[in-house]
Amino acid sequence: MGASLPPKEANLFKLIVKSYETKQYKKGLKAADAILKKFPDHGETLSMKGLTLNCMDRKSEAYELVRQGLKNDLKSHVCWHVFGLLYRSDREYREAIKCYRNALKIDPDNIEILRDLSLLQAQMRDLTGFVETRQQLLTLKSNHRMNWIGFAVAHHLNSSASKAIEILEAYEGTLEDDYPPENERCEHGEMLLYKISLLEECGFFQKALEELQKKELKIVDKLAYKEQEVSLLIKLGRLEEGEKLFRALLSMNPDNYRYYEGLQKCVGLYSENGHFSPDEIDQLDALYKTLEQQYKWSSAVKRIPLDFLQGDKFREAADSYIKPLLTKGVPSLFSDLSSLYNQPRKADVLEQIILELESSLKSTGQYPGRMEKEPPSTLMWTLFFLAQHYDRLGQYEIALSKIDEAIHHTPTVIDLYSVKSRILKHAGDLVAAAAFADEARCMDLADRYVNSECVKRMLQADQVALAEKTAVLFTKDGDQHNNLHDMQCMWYELASAESYFRQGDLGLALKKFLAVEKHYADITEDQFDFHSYCLRKMTLRQYVEMLKFQDQLHSHAYFHKAAVGAIRCYIKLHDSPPKSTAEEDNGMSKLLPSQKKKMRQKQRKAEARAKKEAEIKNEESSAGGVSKSGKRHAKPVDPDPRGEKLTQVEDPLLEATKYLKLLQKNSPDSLETHILSFELYMRKQKILLAFQAVKQLLRLDAEHPDSHRCLIKFFNKVGSMNAPVTDSEKLVWSVLDAERQTISQLHGKSLFETNNSFLEKHEDSLMHKAAFGEMLYVLDPNKRPEAVKLIEGSTNNLVPRNGVLEPIGEWKLKDCIAVHKLLRTVLVDDDAALRWKERCAKFFPYSTYFEGSRSSAFNQIGKSTENGSSNHVESTPSNGKLEAFKDLTI
Amino acid sequence: MVCIRKATVKDLLAMQACNLFCLPENYQMKYYLYHILSWPQLLYVAEDYNGRIVGYVLAKMEEETTDCHGHITSLAVLRTHRKLGLATKLMTAAQNAMEQVFGAEYVSLHVRKSNRAAFNLYTETLGYKIHDVEAKYYADGEDAYDMRKQLKGKQHHHHHNHHHHHLHHEHGGGCCSGEVKGNAKAT
Repeated sequence: MGASLPPKEANLFKLIVKSYETKQYKKGLKAADAILKKFPDHGETLSMKGLTLNCMDRKSEAYELVRQGLKNDLKSHVCWHVFGLLYRSDREYREAIKCYRNALKIDPDNIEILRDLSLLQAQMRDLTGFVETRQQLLTLKSNHRMNWIGFAVAHHLNSSASKAIEILEAYEGTLEDDYPPENERCEHGEMLLYKISLLEECGFFQKALEELQKKELKIVDKLAYKEQEVSLLIKLGRLEEGEKLFRALLSMNPDNYRYYEGLQKCVGLYSENGHFSPDEIDQLDALYKTLEQQYKWSSAVKRIPLDFLQGDKFREAADSYIKPLLTKGVPSLFSDLSSLYNQPRKADVLEQIILELESSLKSTGQYPGRMEKEPPSTLMWTLFFLAQHYDRLGQYEIALSKIDEAIHHTPTVIDLYSVKSRILKHAGDLVAAAAFADEARCMDLADRYVNSECVKRMLQADQVALAEKTAVLFTKDGDQHNNLHDMQCMWYELASAESYFRQGDLGLALKKFLAVEKHYADITEDQFDFHSYCLRKMTLRQYVEMLKFQDQLHSHAYFHKAAVGAIRCYIKLHDSPPKSTAEEDNGMSKLLPSQKKKMRQKQRKAEARAKKEAEIKNEESSAGGVSKSGKRHAKPVDPDPRGEKLTQVEDPLLEATKYLKLLQKNSPDSLETHILSFELYMRKQKILLAFQAVKQLLRLDAEHPDSHRCLIKFFNKVGSMNAPVTDSEKLVWSVLDAERQTISQLHGKSLFETNNSFLEKHEDSLMHKAAFGEMLYVLDPNKRPEAVKLIEGSTNNLVPRNGVLEPIGEWKLKDCIAVHKLLRTVLVDDDAALRWKERCAKFFPYSTYFEGSRSSAFNQIGKSTENGSSNHVESTPSNGKLEAFKDLTI
Repeated sequence: MVCIRKATVKDLLAMQACNLFCLPENYQMKYYLYHILSWPQLLYVAEDYNGRIVGYVLAKMEEETTDCHGHITSLAVLRTHRKLGLATKLMTAAQNAMEQVFGAEYVSLHVRKSNRAAFNLYTETLGYKIHDVEAKYYADGEDAYDMRKQLKGKQHHHHHNHHHHHLHHEHGGGCCSGEVKGNAKAT
């Protein structure tokens, strides 16, 4: 490096490199300038100066200098390496790899460049390349622990775990018997555990167990040792030993449910779906009775039996589980039991138990058959439980009466207001729900949990501005308005995006959806530093787990929601493009094409100017904030705060396709993915791709109303197209003809008949009927009255329940709203929509959508005639807000 | 009711969501990754019966000082899951691992002066003592108690390591804003 320079300058060059490594960029810059004064064309110095400037946020200069440097010295591996580092810093990994490869052509054994290359290969999952590079590094420096480990991990990632084991064993062979020294015991232990996990992965269970036990003293993490041992014992079928070990693990942590599961497996009492024979249930019952004696403090031993016990035994166990928790006032009791509601009989039993407790507490202040008095709070927690119980069953009216009773009993307990807010939300009154969440918030301003819940409810009620004001109470960060984005607060960004979408503000909706997408890109990027870190730290099992996690990162629910939301925005933008503001202002539509072009150029120039001004402003505002390393910290001004530019993309469907591809790759089993794929490709006239989507939908759930919709729409569209002319069109038709034969729903039927048999199969379901009606209309617009009549003819059947309890209607609020939208916007029958609304207002009296008589919308209507304002909720200060909802209490 | 177990990488997104929902001190994902890829033994989660993460403890070893000790970076339990002793169980699990795996002599944490509930948990249930007061420790200007709890003493060996660069020191770019602001709060 710097070889072509005289000694003084060569030393200065070393100083640049050192300053870069120690982040003393200003110092490095000075040294570079000193060399360039004498040797202005020195390639490596120009490159290093560029790299240094890059770290000081002077990107464009950096690229210029690095390119210039390389041009002046194409034979320098330093210049290529630097160019690679520059690309790497901009996440242009493919370009960076190319540069490193060029550098290695000049200097094939350069360890630093090889190491940098290996990191990129790991990041890009170029696993064969990674193995090669790691092998080279080991060959060059086999006395480095890290090189052995790196080579082994590379093979493991490249699906040859057995090769990885060989390498680790060869590495162990290089160690002295008394290895490791004191200060490397942890790392060495981790390496051994990694090797044993590899043996397990390869199915060498016996060898793994022997190795584990042989190395017991060298494995520092005793818990990991035991967990590994028990896993191997089970795989070897040595269940008695496994049982013993699980009992030992339970005595260390009786709250780990996985140990109970393992113990059940060892004694032959495990079932994937939770179904057991009566005999097995008795055995399980006995097992947990003995465990309960041993682990008195564990709630798990009491809770788990509620899953498998039936009949009277369940009633008895549930009764004795619930009582002490109500006395203690455990707020999560209902959520703890909520999975039992999947077994309707158990839900009925729970209801009976709690109702008995309620009536006994009310009449005597005691539990039935007990002598001692309960504290007054027991009744309150009982009512609290009942409210959630009825909420879960959809009986909102009773749920609200119970929660109101609890609030009346003790008005100071925050949880009561939170639950009331949740019930109101389920019942369809989002505005009232937000108001009660705000009430809860005001009762403890220092608790972020109640703040977050309130913000969530406000967003659900489309009070975005108020929500942000409320959130900021906890997220102000110095000069920054809020740090929600910086802290990757995705639930908030998603909830506001969805609210903006509902309100038709596609710009802001897109902005927030894409913000979430950006977080995932950042998290993918986060792994980069760990490729070398973990090899040093030896946390190899976690490292490999982390890589797997990263590979599936985009299947996470938040990403899915964000991508779905973004695609919906783009589809909307395609269907009804926003009038560009400029066009409106300038009356551009009246201009000739050539004039338009000129106008656009002018606009573009103006935009560029504005952007430049914004940049300058950024520089000015950050001038004072330059830290000692020379890096700027101030936040750049957002050039598109309202997301307007996002809505002006040239080809919204092309943008949508980007996100669709990620969904197809990462959420292939979600109906939503393929519904969007269908919508998108139908719009793009990509017939075969749209057909793929239909096939996927049929694969996932052929009976789903949306699958049916897509199927009918697709073949209806195909049937309406002109006969094929070109060869490729003919090919598409022949493919579709052949495929059509394979779809059983269509077999030997017209689309009308297919639609009819769909209805016959699902006559009792509102949503299936709606899909049938919609498709009837699609197939023949003249059949609209018939479709409307059929949908309106649906009845809200009662769900049969245990005799004494109140019956519940089958229809869900969400579905009824969907049907209303269908009647109004697709079938365009305003009268029918109105009739539907009036009917649903009776089923859902709290629904603001249907303006039910108990909803705040209804109250607002009354109010608005008095004071002429129907929209004062957003602006009223939080504590005054409850006034509007007083009438709500029963 | 609630399962207490070691956290895995797959839990980190849920831990971050839990943190953002109930605590004022937050961290980017990279900081969580840094913890689990450095001291996987010291992260525990509380998972409710429906598989939801309702609490966690995020802890680390301070390896740059001469005395070997652990530090609680963050502890959270959702408000809805109070009265189950989850904070105690999470803390105990992390403390045990610090002692067993790393031979920590003591464990430290910071708590807001105003957070009486957490302070009581630390002093009365868990045996922490005030070691110092750090003025204006938190972003909003509030002071913190620097608290410590002595662990049973070294069963294991001093854990010294010559290449303990902290990842977030090595690579700037603001990987972990919370780095110097470890926090602890029990709700």
